[in-house]
Amino acid sequence: MAVSWRKDSVYRDGSLNYGRLALYAIMIFVAIVWGAPFIWMFVTSIKPDTEVFSYPPTWWPNEPTLEFYTRLFDSFPMLQWFRNSLIVATITTVLTLATNILAAYPLARMRFRGRKIVLLIILSTFLLPGEILLVPLFLGMIKFKLANTYFSIAVPAAANAFGVFLMTQFFLSIPVELEEAARLDGCSRLGLLWRIFIPLSKPVIATVAIFTFVRSWNDFFWPLIISNTDATRTVPVGLAVFVGRGLSMRFGVIMASAAAATIPAVIFFLLLQRYFVRGISTTGLQG
Amino acid sequence: MGRPYSNIPFWGWGTMTKRKTSPWNSIKNDLIAYAFMAPYLVLFIVFLLLPAVVGVYASFTKWGIIGEPKWRGLKNYTKLLDSELFIESLQNTLYFVVLAAIPLIVLGFLLALLVNQKLRGRNIARAIVFLPHVVSVAAVGIIFQWILERSSGLLNYYLGVLGVNPPINWLGDPDSAMPAIAITTIWWTVNGNMIIYLAGLQDIPEDLYEAAKIDGAGRWQELRYVTIPMLMPVNAFVIPLTVIACWRVFGQVFVMTRGGPQGSTFTVAQFIYETAFVNFNMGLASAAGVILMVITLSFTIVQLRAMKVI
Repeated sequence: MAVSWRKDSVYRDGSLNYGRLALYAIMIFVAIVWGAPFIWMFVTSIKPDTEVFSYPPTWWPNEPTLEFYTRLFDSFPMLQWFRNSLIVATITTVLTLATNILAAYPLARMRFRGRKIVLLIILSTFLLPGEILLVPLFLGMIKFKLANTYFSIAVPAAANAFGVFLMTQFFLSIPVELEEAARLDGCSRLGLLWRIFIPLSKPVIATVAIFTFVRSWNDFFWPLIISNTDATRTVPVGLAVFVGRGLSMRFGVIMASAAAATIPAVIFFLLLQRYFVRGISTTGLQG
Repeated sequence: MGRPYSNIPFWGWGTMTKRKTSPWNSIKNDLIAYAFMAPYLVLFIVFLLLPAVVGVYASFTKWGIIGEPKWRGLKNYTKLLDSELFIESLQNTLYFVVLAAIPLIVLGFLLALLVNQKLRGRNIARAIVFLPHVVSVAAVGIIFQWILERSSGLLNYYLGVLGVNPPINWLGDPDSAMPAIAITTIWWTVNGNMIIYLAGLQDIPEDLYEAAKIDGAGRWQELRYVTIPMLMPVNAFVIPLTVIACWRVFGQVFVMTRGGPQGSTFTVAQFIYETAFVNFNMGLASAAGVILMVITLSFTIVQLRAMKVI
């Protein structure tokens, strides 16, 4: 766990004084500022039409109702979008894990010609603004008649180097003695990877999996360009292009759509929080 | 605690020992290594490296959605530099970078300091601040459209309570639209920097603070002479990555303003989107992409030089 609870804080003074009270006040303010938009979104989504624009704003409806959700699912193919997002994110994640684990092994553990160059090229792509890739990828997908397929949305995302970087770093930390003992017993390199590296790397594999899944689930620019049918359109694109377009008088339905898209992500996050934190804090990259 | 593998040299061979091998074994070894990497390298080359190269090539051509590219030399670039729309998009994006990147870095650091304090409930505060990280930009954009709404929006109401009158037309006024996008962006993504700084803070050896205390340092001096200098390596990647992300701003703008009002939030990424995927002028869009890349790379190099990292 990279960011951990720390028993002995820098400031050992644990008593309550004005300085600490001020810190508590700031912390509560911060929690309100970051929490309120979620609550406001949810509260708006369960208000009846008549209460959405009530002034001053009310933090709980007099008559909570799921009417906006009914309207949302009646007017937009939300379930299809969810299905698409799920399929796309799953393809990207499985592909990323399989290829990254294999690639990280020699990068961390073998001496071979070109290792530094391969590493340098892979890592330098972190500094590459992805916009430069959009036109060639788009034209390529059109050329090979792959636009509007799950393949075209999901596979390019698996080229991201984040997972390779994280896994290589982790594999470097696995004691070499374990590997040598297994090799003396006649274990092949694939066997080593399967029997030693993968079981020992479960936490980092989980981190890469979760990061990749969420990044893919939330990806916006590329899916916006490459899919324009409901058969493949993902949730964020559906929200941005249809539900949320300049419809200022329909904030109830819009908030229902935002809540429907957000609540699964929030639950997912609360269950798996530590993996996100590890992913960011060990690499300095945000996915 | 801290970064568990930070003591392992990433570029070195780690714990590997050099073995004496015959030339054949050495070639075989190379082949095995590349065989392991092959599936990823195929993805990497086909979907990252090759598109990047083609993107640069396309910037020197006239290329529509169908047909072959025609070489145009530097014409796309001269056209861009003569284009008022593009220059405006550069200025708008630079403005956004200033508005968003500085708070993202400073506030990220301050939030990390805050949730690193020994306070009850700090884990809950961390989790709440981190929560927006998992939310899609589409949802963030529409939530903030509602919060920033002029007459019934939450922000204007509470600003009114604090005495800010008349209500600000956040997304409708060219002067406040970009700050509104920046506020949204900060709320959405400051958590990443917070976590990175938090990991950096927890990596600072406790002895340094002990030593500072013995020398009679107060809290400010500790911050000034221990914490901040020790976080310099963290800054060396937080700053470039934050600035690059800001230069690439797209989703928030696309969802919240579509570049308006009066083009005040029209950014480089919007320019690329519209040029390539609305007007299908692939060559011109690629040239804009290359200019974006040159800007972010030169910023990164200048900054890392200034910090004496390279």
